[in-house]
Amino acid sequence: MKARYIASWASAVAVATALTMGSAAVAEDDTIKIGVPVGLSGANSVVAPSVVQAGELAVAEINEAGGLLGRKLELVVADDGSGAQGAQKAFDSLVFQKEVDVLISMETSAARNAGLPIVNRGKVPFIYTSFYEGRSCSPWLYVNAWVPEQQVAPIVDHFMGKLGSKTFFLVGSDYAFGRGMLEFTRSYIADNGGEVLGEEYLPMDGTDWTAIISKLKSANPDALITSTAGGAPNVTLTKQLRAAGIDIPYGNLAVDEGTARNMGADAAGIYISASYITGIDSAENQGFLKAMAAHFGDELKTPNDLSVPQYEGVYLYKLAVEKAGTTDSQAVIDALDEVAFMGPRGRIQMNKQRHAPLTMYLGQVTAEGGVDVIASFKDVDPGEQCPNL
Amino acid sequence: MGVLLLDIVTTAAILFAVATGLMIILGVMKLINFAHGAFLTIGGYAAFVATALGWNPWLAIPFAALVGFLLGLVVELAIVRPLYTRPLDAILATWGLGIIIGQLITIGFGREVQFVQTPMTGAIDFLGQSYSTYRLVLIPLSAVIGIALTSLLYFTRFGLNARAVIMNEDLARGLGIDSTAVRLLTFGLGAALATMAGALITPLISVDPNLGLPWLVNSFMLVLVSGVSIPGLMMASLILGGAQVVVSTYVSPILGGLTIVVLAAFILRIRPRGLFGG
Amino acid sequence: MAEQAQGSSVGRAGTAGGRRSDIRSVLLGAGLAVVVLAVAPFVLDTYTVNILIRALLLAALALTVDILWGYTGILTFGQSAFFGIGAYACALIFTHAGFGAGWALAALAIGVLSAMAVGALVGWLAFYHGASPLYASIVTLALPIVLTQVVFAGGRFTGSSSGLSGFPTYYWSIEIWFWIAGGFLVLVTGLAWLFVRSDMGRVLIAIRENETRCAYLGIPVPRIKILLMAAAGGIGSIAGFGYAAFTNVVAPELTGFLLGTELLIWVALGGRGTLIGPVIGAMGIDLTSSYLSGSLPFYWKLLVGIAFVAVIVALPQGLMPIVTNLWRRLFAGSRRGRETITLAGVSSRSARERADRPLVVHGVERHFGSLNVLQGIDFEANEGELLSLVGPNGAGKTTLIRCLADGFERSGGEVTIFGQALGRWPPDRCVALGIGRKFQAANVFATLTVAECLRVARYRLERPSPWAREMVLRLPEAALRIVEETGLAAALDTEARHLSHGQKQALELAMVLALEPRIVLLDEPTAGLTRVERERIGSILTSLTERERLSILLVEHDLDFVREISSRVIVLHQGKIVLDGSVQEVIESDLVREIYAGSAQPGEEGPA
Repeated sequence: MKARYIASWASAVAVATALTMGSAAVAEDDTIKIGVPVGLSGANSVVAPSVVQAGELAVAEINEAGGLLGRKLELVVADDGSGAQGAQKAFDSLVFQKEVDVLISMETSAARNAGLPIVNRGKVPFIYTSFYEGRSCSPWLYVNAWVPEQQVAPIVDHFMGKLGSKTFFLVGSDYAFGRGMLEFTRSYIADNGGEVLGEEYLPMDGTDWTAIISKLKSANPDALITSTAGGAPNVTLTKQLRAAGIDIPYGNLAVDEGTARNMGADAAGIYISASYITGIDSAENQGFLKAMAAHFGDELKTPNDLSVPQYEGVYLYKLAVEKAGTTDSQAVIDALDEVAFMGPRGRIQMNKQRHAPLTMYLGQVTAEGGVDVIASFKDVDPGEQCPNL
Repeated sequence: MGVLLLDIVTTAAILFAVATGLMIILGVMKLINFAHGAFLTIGGYAAFVATALGWNPWLAIPFAALVGFLLGLVVELAIVRPLYTRPLDAILATWGLGIIIGQLITIGFGREVQFVQTPMTGAIDFLGQSYSTYRLVLIPLSAVIGIALTSLLYFTRFGLNARAVIMNEDLARGLGIDSTAVRLLTFGLGAALATMAGALITPLISVDPNLGLPWLVNSFMLVLVSGVSIPGLMMASLILGGAQVVVSTYVSPILGGLTIVVLAAFILRIRPRGLFGG
Repeated sequence: MAEQAQGSSVGRAGTAGGRRSDIRSVLLGAGLAVVVLAVAPFVLDTYTVNILIRALLLAALALTVDILWGYTGILTFGQSAFFGIGAYACALIFTHAGFGAGWALAALAIGVLSAMAVGALVGWLAFYHGASPLYASIVTLALPIVLTQVVFAGGRFTGSSSGLSGFPTYYWSIEIWFWIAGGFLVLVTGLAWLFVRSDMGRVLIAIRENETRCAYLGIPVPRIKILLMAAAGGIGSIAGFGYAAFTNVVAPELTGFLLGTELLIWVALGGRGTLIGPVIGAMGIDLTSSYLSGSLPFYWKLLVGIAFVAVIVALPQGLMPIVTNLWRRLFAGSRRGRETITLAGVSSRSARERADRPLVVHGVERHFGSLNVLQGIDFEANEGELLSLVGPNGAGKTTLIRCLADGFERSGGEVTIFGQALGRWPPDRCVALGIGRKFQAANVFATLTVAECLRVARYRLERPSPWAREMVLRLPEAALRIVEETGLAAALDTEARHLSHGQKQALELAMVLALEPRIVLLDEPTAGLTRVERERIGSILTSLTERERLSILLVEHDLDFVREISSRVIVLHQGKIVLDGSVQEVIESDLVREIYAGSAQPGEEGPA
């Protein structure tokens, strides 16, 4: 008995020792480190490579132009597993092990929320580059992507104005983004004199929309707006809507250009609203696309509404550091809302309660899988996000 | 009302098609195949590969079944056979197999949603309702699966042997039935049914590495409630699938998503051998 | 209960009786662990300490999985749910109600109580007499799925998919959190160690090995499992509370089914039923994944999946036994440090003269579908009677025995034990009425030693300690006699699976007699025994009826044996009693001869 028990404890000690030796100290060097916690695995793994590429391009461009304060930039990527547990590890690793100077990343809301306490403890500036449901506030957080206030208006305005829709049906996945978006959509429609005939949710991993589609058909609305979780729920809903022969105007708040393309014929006719579409006709965007193609060649992942803000986020950080003259966290945070960057999406300045007014584009997916820009809305205000900051 | 009825029947047809593979394996081998969800996923990807090769989308379904059958044979030999006497460990090993399959698919195809050519799309007028054509087609297709499986079990030598093993494996072996071969073929058949179902439902779902997972637990519940018989499974799909549709329609789709699991857990507490078991 | 110390012939001289526990070695081990824990935060970098704090808490959760699955055989997918309950109790109260020492204690209490309540509810659903282990697994699978959905549906209150974060918490230094988490794990591991190596811990293994035998030893298996589930839920909830308070974050994945299955993977790889294995498995895998998954996220998961399948198929006991075996081979010779068990006699509960008859069977029927296996069975058994049930194969003898010891078995009629109607009582309550049943095939606990098997059989009469081992094995005289006369006394620390067939049969009989039953049901106790063994058992049985006035019901094929020892014989044929009389009457009956010749009532077939 004793032998067995000593063996047990001894192996525990051995494991602890092995762990100790595994964690060698990180060498001190002179680069400015940009931490990118991102979903290399899990739900976000589809889009994460394009996000990393956009960040890499910005870093390469800045380094080629002489770096920042005479120092080179370095991108440190960590997998957050697209969830809270993975994000804690990723943020811990970046903040405490790699000791990055700033965090710039696109993440799920759960991952962002899981990372924020670590950011607060480590006192590192954090530029969040993913659209989200809004109202995430921390002294260390800036956001350069859209919130419901910015995304919903273009679709609803177009449906009610140009298409004459009066009645709406809303469908979403039961999670923070889905509920947040549709909550705002409902009140926006009501404020503009429209009527919401129904608002239905399916669990986040739900894929059987049968009953909801039947309800939708019997409600017979003029238009449909959906906000599901990305990936499977979005695709299944679209497929099942099409299979049921529903052809009313369909605005999808959760689909991006790339996914729409992947869905093929089922996606044709869907309206999307985004701050970035590859077809934006500006010198900055054309230059950006060319640079991406030149830098990555065959490996290129198509830039999108989640990767472009990452590119711009790196530049916004660069401008803030230059303005502050230091990488000191507090000084950078103070400078971040004073700098503006002309990027592929236009002029970005995060000066509205830590959020940025954005030019929004209304697009419609074509049968060939492209996206036609139907209208653009300049500098849409993010509204009241963090009134206390 | 007509739509509700169609929703119930088509939902039941889908659930039946998805659960048969699990049931045949449980029935003959007394083994819960936790890789069932991964097999469904493989079916979806088989359909993707078939249509990407430019084949007719209908051809994807038998192709998926063939892939599943071969895979099932391999899995039975490598993983399931050593675990006959350890049914709970077999659950775990097949769950691990599911993880492996999911990761291999992710590494091979990426995690994104794949676009699969569908055999038919749109809606037709049926009983005065405009209703999804493909969902309607699934009703006869599921019926064909049920009939084919019944015929296989009742009119073939393999079926006779399989039923003998279901009833009393020791006795069957005593009578000279090669129960090892029966198990091997059964697992292949169960895997083939699962992959075929995966291909069958691709027009309604998204083909990605997690395709099968949401179906896994509901399938278990249906199979356990069915008392492991083909007519029982049909009834269970109708009753529990119907309950899901009714709750989704009249109460909330969120509760609807939990209906099968919760209802089945309580049914099994009261009738441990299922609604239709002895 | 008067104990009569009996100078046992087997207890080795110089061995003191009394209770023994591992408390000293546990304290030593815990001390060692505490030293490592105290130093670790100063040796390791902040990142590793951060990761380890979470890993320590998850390891405590994995430990509860090991108790449930590794020791008791309950395959649970739902342990993450309790972790989530504790975590959400912390987050919800700190977010919505308030923060402070009082609120923290309240949140902890609420978390633990709700987890225990949920655990008990799940236990009630999953564990009942006759439940299949598969069903229990399915229920534990449904729990996290339902709970995650509840969190999703909670909107702003629960934070839905985004979870809750940034609520006020104790911003203690990372070392303090490390020591809290480590201290908690050491405490839980130490308590678990004492528990599983106590006499009560042996009962858990007995349940894993043979649940039916346990029920027929009067062990309330469902109640034990429900309590265990609730306790494991409570511990899991504390770990979850710590996790939320430290990380300042909760998210639906903490309650999810995927975490539940990950726990199983950790426990399986580390080594189920070893406590330390799962702890190392949980910490090792969690930590390695923190370092490796960043660079190869998909391959890492693939590797874990492959390792998991390989271990389940080829090394079901996990990796821990390999380490301990190696250690033993290198440093210690003996297999298990032997503790000497002393046998002692205990006087049976006085054979009170009771007014009621021991056994009255009235109109008992049993149908399987349309098949009538038993119909209209009426008979009585008296004290001091050795009643043999004979009849050809398929006459319904074993079915009848089952109906006498399990209220769920019969389709109709009533069985009355000492005036108490059986109703729908499960076997463990029937045992409390004074019934002891021995199965046809030897039914013992394969991985328990002879002494442990007998100790488990004494569960009802001597409640086993949850933290210590009794060094004196007290058995009633009849059981003691069997143990001593069949050579079991010399094999007290031999695992039951290593016994000969005859010894297994004898052990099971001794276990049944250890229950101090008033009515003993024996299903072919002499099958496969040698002539000598059979005679010995025969003489023990007759002395039980004569000296202790027990009623014994014996199913037997060997008619010579029946003739030698029976005081009365009942002949069953095709589910009916065809004769109930003395040995002499049966021997002289033409009917019985015809039945055994297979010529009675030609044309009818007996039930299979």
